[in-house]
Amino acid sequence: MSLILEVVAPRLLGPAVMVAAAIIVKGYADVGDGFSAGVIVALAIALRYITLGTERAERGLPILRRAPVVAVGGLLIALAVGFLPVLAGDPPFTHRPAPGAEVVKIGTLELISAVAFDVGVFLLVCGALVVLVHHLARLVQGDER
Amino acid sequence: MLAWSAVASAAAAFVACLAGWLAGGGSVELAWAPTLGLRIDLAFDGLAALYSLLATGIGALVFAYGAGYLPWHLEHVGRPAHDAWRFWPWMVVFMGSMVGLACARDLVLLFVFFDLTAVASYFLIGFDRDRDARGAALMALLVTGVSAVALLIAAVLLYDAYGTFSLPELFERAGTGTTTTVAGVLIAVAALAKSAQVPLHFWLPRAMAAPTPVSAYLHSAAMVAAGVLVLGRVHPLLVKSDLVLDGLLVVGLVSIAVGGVLALAQDELKQILAHSTISQYGYVVTLYGIGGATAAGAATLYVLAHAIAKSALFMTAGAVTVTTGESQLSRLGGLGRRLPALAVASGVAAATLAALPLTLGFFKDELFFQAAGEHGRLVQLLAVGAAALTVAYIGRFWLGLFTGPLRARPSGGVPPLLLGPIAVLGALALVGGFVVEPFARLAEDAAEVTHVGGLDVAPAYHLDAGTENAMALAAWGLGALVLLASRFREPLVRAFARAGERVGPRRWYALSLLGLNRLSDWAHDTEVRDLRNSIAAVLVPAAALIALAFVVTPTRGSYAAGSLGADDLPIVVLLALGVAAAVTAARDRGRLRPVLALSVLGFALAGVYAMAGAPDVALVAVLVETVLTLVFVGVFARLPSASVRRPRLRARNAIIGAAAGASVFAAIWGALSRRTPAEGVAAEHIERAPGAHGGDVVTVILADFRGLDTMVEITVLAVAVVGIASLLSRGRPW
Repeated sequence: MSLILEVVAPRLLGPAVMVAAAIIVKGYADVGDGFSAGVIVALAIALRYITLGTERAERGLPILRRAPVVAVGGLLIALAVGFLPVLAGDPPFTHRPAPGAEVVKIGTLELISAVAFDVGVFLLVCGALVVLVHHLARLVQGDER
Repeated sequence: MLAWSAVASAAAAFVACLAGWLAGGGSVELAWAPTLGLRIDLAFDGLAALYSLLATGIGALVFAYGAGYLPWHLEHVGRPAHDAWRFWPWMVVFMGSMVGLACARDLVLLFVFFDLTAVASYFLIGFDRDRDARGAALMALLVTGVSAVALLIAAVLLYDAYGTFSLPELFERAGTGTTTTVAGVLIAVAALAKSAQVPLHFWLPRAMAAPTPVSAYLHSAAMVAAGVLVLGRVHPLLVKSDLVLDGLLVVGLVSIAVGGVLALAQDELKQILAHSTISQYGYVVTLYGIGGATAAGAATLYVLAHAIAKSALFMTAGAVTVTTGESQLSRLGGLGRRLPALAVASGVAAATLAALPLTLGFFKDELFFQAAGEHGRLVQLLAVGAAALTVAYIGRFWLGLFTGPLRARPSGGVPPLLLGPIAVLGALALVGGFVVEPFARLAEDAAEVTHVGGLDVAPAYHLDAGTENAMALAAWGLGALVLLASRFREPLVRAFARAGERVGPRRWYALSLLGLNRLSDWAHDTEVRDLRNSIAAVLVPAAALIALAFVVTPTRGSYAAGSLGADDLPIVVLLALGVAAAVTAARDRGRLRPVLALSVLGFALAGVYAMAGAPDVALVAVLVETVLTLVFVGVFARLPSASVRRPRLRARNAIIGAAAGASVFAAIWGALSRRTPAEGVAAEHIERAPGAHGGDVVTVILADFRGLDTMVEITVLAVAVVGIASLLSRGRPW
């Protein structure tokens, strides 16, 4: 791998997370959703694996170990947002506030439960893809040894 | 500890069910997917009370028995004690789904719980994980699971005709006619397979590979009872068709005969009991086939008495095997003097099954004879024959175990934990012989769901020369005769069993499974033999099906090859880039260049999406294309560097590729030529998006309008990752 790539690739993670956050925050009013955001972050991490190799990539960023937890957490968030309305007697995926009601806005971020669902999707996609990359990378490295 | 918490939960559930029954029941109704007509409609009525009390009450006793049996079993087969974790959770899940099934008043809900019991039983029957147990578990799952699909088809048929899945509404709306008959037949098929009725009975004897507590629970009071439970639940629908009732009558009578004769031919204790179960549920199916108030009451009392007796007998078989180490009737005998308590307790259970007086069982046959008498002389005669068969095989079982010369020496007494539940059930059967009112009231409440309208279940001893008493006497006499004439009986039943093995339905099952496996192997081998076949499996159907669609459907008017304007120029340029990239990918002999050419093609297409007003799709396309390129580069970087000789171009490949390309081109050209969004769902989505506080329609569809779909999709993603983790590193998440 070229030196430039080795220097640039790990530093792409910050901007990638920024872009992902922007997509989620603006997502409900503009193009993009949790899935795209998750793939973008996972892409940056995958690039890190390719340039640094599995061990260095994971040693430098220990939080990657938490990827399975992140994925499961995302699934749980999505499930909770989807099915909590059932307890109130509504059909699943009845989002609050209801259509037509006032929405609290912080900048461009709209506080609606659909955005929480999107965050769940983001965490799941991102976590699942990182787990995938981890296993595949270990497999490839095992072949080399 | 685990076992006792299962016992405690079953006992608590039993108390709750008992309180619910005494309080008069109740119902819950929740919206599930209201637009699809799906509701969670649970009612704790008489029928639900009967089967819930059986599932939880016998469940508690069998769990207690299992607490003593399972450690012995695990040690016996050399497995660690913590494998109990693979056992108890499934038992509790089974109990829960059985209670759910008993309360369900909606056809789809019925199907869901029906399948839940099948799934739990799969893991329980296959608990021992040897070849035999796995085959048995698969067979039980396939036979009961595949036929359960018939229940779903029936539900959809009825929904299509009458617009509801709810059973009470269906009872009101459904008329007599072909739809009701067909649906009735389909429901009956699912129920009969579950209750192990001929010709789908063969899974039950095989399922005896399960540990004894599983047999004592699932194969006496729960899993097989689920079938007749469904019959009882939908009976008001079934009576609208004489064909269904006559079919039930025939299947029931044949099952009594086949199960009974085969029970006489078996040597293994649990096999005798399994075939007896087939025969006993044949009685219940017969009663539902007879129909009417008397039969409905007789059926529910029969289920109650049989469940109590049969689970006690299964546990007896297990206790005998634990103390002597033998499981064949021919190697056992004379245990009566060594294990008197077990002999008495199981003797009461056997007498209950044989319908001797002073036990609860006497009344089940009294009502059975009464219902048969109402239906006609032929059924009456067959009923006596059936009862005689029961007396014979259960007599053979109990007498063979506890009388005669001592064959296998028991190593000490029966452990109290194994004896206790059997004694409780025996005592219950005995109490029922003297004070039948509580049992009769439970049966009556249950039968009122089956037979809408008043009915009276009032079994009692009548010391007179009535028909029922004469029939009972005839049955005992005939049964004793069959039991004593072992020299004539043995060759006959052996021959019947052999014939069944040679041409019976179990052989057909094996043959069809083998055939399906071969077909699947063939299709798999053909498709994945080489890369070309894998690609052809996509391209050939794409070419053929789209071309076929163009040929057979009228395209005039609906297909417009739109004109090219000046504003289409960017799209044309992007597409031209795509074409050039595709040709490069196909023709270039390098390794990395075709990959890069492919990604150029992908990005060009993403550009087209962006131009065609689909920025969301474009964003995803860019991301996916980037991932694919990264994967390609990552993998190719690790390949050995020697250049691979590329195969020469073949005319066939070129023709298939060109044909597929032409078809898809024609289809996409038509799609892109449509500028205005189609009427219908798309327009509605766009119209409603602002109301849902969303500016971007696609995002709103994903998170709100079709949120459930997205939920399922991301769940699939999570499951896929778990699958990959288990393939690559034995299930470790990291």
